[in-house]
Amino acid sequence: MKFKMILAAFLMIISVKGYANDIGFVGAGSTFAYPLYSKMFDVYHDMTGIKVNYQAVGSGAGQRQIIARAIDFGGSDAFMSDAQMSKAPAKLLHIPTALGAVVMTYNINVKGKLRLTPAIIAGIYLGKIKKWNDMRIKSINPHLNLPAENIVVVHRSDGSGTTFIFTDYLSKISKDWKKNIGRDTSVAWPVGIGGKGNAGVAGLIKQIPGAFGYVELIYASSNNMPMGYLRNSYGNFVYPSLASVTVAANIKIPADTRVSLTDTASPNGYPIAGMTWLLVYQEQHYLGRSRAKAKAFVKLIWWMTHAGQKYTKPLEYSPLPKNVVKSVDNILQSMTYDGKPIIR
Amino acid sequence: MEKRLKIRQIQDKLFTVIVALFSIAIILPLFFIIFYIVRNGAAEINWHFITSLPKPVGETGGISNAIVGTTELIGIAALIAIPLALFTGIYMKEFEKSKLAAVVSSLTDLLQGVPSIVIGIVCYLWIVLPLRSFSALSGSVALAIMMLPMIIKSTYHSLKLVPDSLKEASLALGTPYYRTVMKVIVPAASSGIITGIILSISRVAGETAPLLFTAFGNPFMNLNVTKPVNSLPLLIFNYATSPFSDWQKQAWGASLILIIMVSALNLLSKIMEHKWKTTY
Repeated sequence: MKFKMILAAFLMIISVKGYANDIGFVGAGSTFAYPLYSKMFDVYHDMTGIKVNYQAVGSGAGQRQIIARAIDFGGSDAFMSDAQMSKAPAKLLHIPTALGAVVMTYNINVKGKLRLTPAIIAGIYLGKIKKWNDMRIKSINPHLNLPAENIVVVHRSDGSGTTFIFTDYLSKISKDWKKNIGRDTSVAWPVGIGGKGNAGVAGLIKQIPGAFGYVELIYASSNNMPMGYLRNSYGNFVYPSLASVTVAANIKIPADTRVSLTDTASPNGYPIAGMTWLLVYQEQHYLGRSRAKAKAFVKLIWWMTHAGQKYTKPLEYSPLPKNVVKSVDNILQSMTYDGKPIIR
Repeated sequence: MEKRLKIRQIQDKLFTVIVALFSIAIILPLFFIIFYIVRNGAAEINWHFITSLPKPVGETGGISNAIVGTTELIGIAALIAIPLALFTGIYMKEFEKSKLAAVVSSLTDLLQGVPSIVIGIVCYLWIVLPLRSFSALSGSVALAIMMLPMIIKSTYHSLKLVPDSLKEASLALGTPYYRTVMKVIVPAASSGIITGIILSISRVAGETAPLLFTAFGNPFMNLNVTKPVNSLPLLIFNYATSPFSDWQKQAWGASLILIIMVSALNLLSKIMEHKWKTTY
């Protein structure tokens, strides 16, 4: 008897507590965007009382969950192909929220920063350049006293948006890579050892002398790891920074923003940059969603891509450049409820 | 003759020493793990850490929602698993010779071998997809499935230790069979059964894999079982792999809290075992 009463009291507490605030959103995906989103959603909750729950399950899982409609929005560092989008029950939209960079980091004892060309990076990842004092690296870096050590290539072992951006870059700069390996969230690496997540790769590079690998900018800078200058398609050596990443997006952006920013044509742009997107359905009246919820949803995304952009830089993300924000405005205006625009 | 005896004695001593050494070697890693977690986590733990919600990077937050979430997940999992497992265990003991009991017994062994991530995926397909929402309930079901074989086994083995004479005495007094089972046999085995339950709870308390796509995680406090909920292992996993040192430190703090919770449960089971143990 006592037990039943306790159970009834418990159920009462959860039903009262749980349904007090009914507008809330659930999102999942990109690990890269997680720190930024958790900051944005915390501020947004203080401002509006709307609870947004975002979980970092990886870009690939974010895409699958939005297709299954188990969440309100997905997060992805890789844009979806037409074939992937056709699996969704309705039209999906991509909305960029911030820009990030993949940096080349290394563990060799030299004074000064390493300079890298597309040919060197592709050569190392294809297993053709094996030693740090290889002539091809030496000729670009006459200012460094490069050791005769072996290069230990490090890559991601799990599927990731970071890998997608990096292999997208390699596919653009190397015919060999494009033909034999290609771009994906995980690929069949010809050489090297794998680490799980950015944290895993950063850890391996720090531990292994002679290691060379790619991580997101924030992981290299927060761990005080050296980053290489990269020669972009314009011929300039560019150091990874928030500014050089934003500049990379200063190119013609298609209306649906599904574009790769790697190997950018922008003269001062960093060549391994990419956007991170929200994935949402264009038509918001599905699975019994109310008009109020749809409106609150679009408002939230509007805030993230406008006023909320001020939270990008303190967390080492590059804010969206003006030309991209313009495309975002058009996309948000195309979102509908029962076929009618939600905002004007 | 003297010499042979001496050699034998030495051999004997040597064996004892080796066995003792290996036992210590096994304790050492555990000791190091606890030492490391206490050293890194103790500084993080304070009242604010235990009672406030997680905050974004750069602000000091806490883990209150994860502590409550883990308790909620385990509580509901126990409510689901205990009755099911208890009755299965009783059936397996009481009708040991039946074919069904043999089948159930081997299927229980099989269930114990299923990887936890697979159980998570199954619960995602069963509960999350039809409801179109990640939920505490789906996480609890996943944990309950993991608890089942452990409780069934411990119930079965504890019941086996109860002598038949006790059962016969009860039946001879005219007590119906179901009352004999519920009021005589099960209480007599209760210390073993409860120990099994508590151990199974502390085993699943640290599980991350089955919760990734079921309980999902939540930065807010949530008590509604149909909504996503945070848990300690999930929070530790997310924070430990983040690039920010303050989150990594909080992961150590949360690990220590989890270890304390699990150790407290283990201690409780030891105390109960001593206190309620009946010998025949």
